[in-house]
Amino acid sequence: MADSILVTDHQACFRFKTSFAACTIMQLTRYDLDDLSKQTTAAVNRAPNFFIGSPVVLDLEVVKGIGVLDFKQIKQILISNNLVPVGVRGGSQEQLEEAATAGFPVITIGKPKLIDEPPKKTPQAPITKLVTSPIRSGMQVYARATDLIVMAPVSPGAELLADGNIHVYGPLRGRALAGVQGNTQARIFCRTLEAELVAIAGYYLVKEDMHNLPSDGSTMQIYLAGEEVKIAAV
Amino acid sequence: MVKIIVVTSGKGGVGKTTTSASFAVGLASRGYKTAVIDFDIGLRNLDLIMGCERRVVYDFVNVIRGEATLNQALIRDKHTKELFILPASQTRDKDALTLEGVAAVLDELGKTFDYIVCDSPAGIERGAQLAMYFADSAIVVTNPEVSSVRDSDRMLGLLSSKTKRAEEGKGQISEHLLLTRYSPKRVANGDMLSLADVNEILAIPLLGVIPESQAVLRASNSGVPVIVDSESDAGQAYTDAVARYLGEEVPFRFLQEKSHWLKRLFSFKEKEAV
Repeated sequence: MADSILVTDHQACFRFKTSFAACTIMQLTRYDLDDLSKQTTAAVNRAPNFFIGSPVVLDLEVVKGIGVLDFKQIKQILISNNLVPVGVRGGSQEQLEEAATAGFPVITIGKPKLIDEPPKKTPQAPITKLVTSPIRSGMQVYARATDLIVMAPVSPGAELLADGNIHVYGPLRGRALAGVQGNTQARIFCRTLEAELVAIAGYYLVKEDMHNLPSDGSTMQIYLAGEEVKIAAV
Repeated sequence: MVKIIVVTSGKGGVGKTTTSASFAVGLASRGYKTAVIDFDIGLRNLDLIMGCERRVVYDFVNVIRGEATLNQALIRDKHTKELFILPASQTRDKDALTLEGVAAVLDELGKTFDYIVCDSPAGIERGAQLAMYFADSAIVVTNPEVSSVRDSDRMLGLLSSKTKRAEEGKGQISEHLLLTRYSPKRVANGDMLSLADVNEILAIPLLGVIPESQAVLRASNSGVPVIVDSESDAGQAYTDAVARYLGEEVPFRFLQEKSHWLKRLFSFKEKEAV
């Protein structure tokens, strides 16, 4: 039975507690033991209440390229200034090993993760937005990151927007803007083109400029050729 | 179960109040207990059209604020039994209406009435949205001209999204098109949109076509809803529309120009010749 491992409260000789004590990070920017000693003393003297007895973690991120340091010496400097060295972080593998032999534990808490794995996204085809009821004046429909299919009339004063293509099976009398995020390959397809405005990736055509529309009732497409919006039968 | 009808249009001056008054009279004269409410706070007109402006003591806003009971504010119509009018306040503005207040008044009316006709103000703001919010069906009043058609279209969009039924997913409210001030002669001349033109854009069931008529103005000025004038074409057209609303099949009238008897004779001859 696992009972043998369990101990009751009064038998336990320790308890784990989490606390958030302030800890000073001392980031080395230059390796010079003499200067380090002097400057540390000066800094502690400026604010003894803050520094004396304070735990210090040595951060080697900046100096990780300069090889092995004399950690025993550094430890001595910190202790002689009434600081409490508790570990090192961020150095090269070589430095960390050397520090460990000198009595500096390697600390990983509070350090940015070295490998930041992006969360894996399962590739998923965006679902096309489908509208079956009439789109009235003043209404706005936006298909974000996908195509828009409208199976009803689009009234004057209504607005269709899509990051992808737009297909309209009822009369298109409002505005239709495809590729609004800049997709120049986006197209608009419709059967009755009476639109107030059509646009592909920001290039637009107003009703007044829509000439020579095919009048045989064929399905039309609106696409971008260079910087020109074209209307043609499919 | 009470049925709440909103008469709306978006655009002003198309005949909402005339329609509300005539429709309410039409429903009441068929024996349904009917209340007609003026939602146009600050620009009250319904009492004038209904000819009860001299009997207004309390109004809609008084009831909402608890300053009067509903029974004190309701005005019994003099000509039609079963018809009551709840007038708007002329001294307030539309902010005096609250959703809770309107809900309470409609609830109270719903206990005893068969139909409640809400006469919406023009525009798409608060007053109009409150008038439509609780509706079961909407009569969209439209004139045969482009700006009115566009505004009605906008209203239909709001009706499909900004009503209690739509918000609670209880299905669409029933929408009915009422085309007013229709002049077949001007349609024939190309000065006016035809019924087909309007239908193409709005595409909702047609409740009626009210011809442009002197009788409407005469009725408004005399404070008797035009439906009461059974001799007039507009009055008859409203009677037909009410019948259609109640589910009866009535052929559409007044869609063709009244032609002179000589012209009729000639067209008859032409047909013979073919």
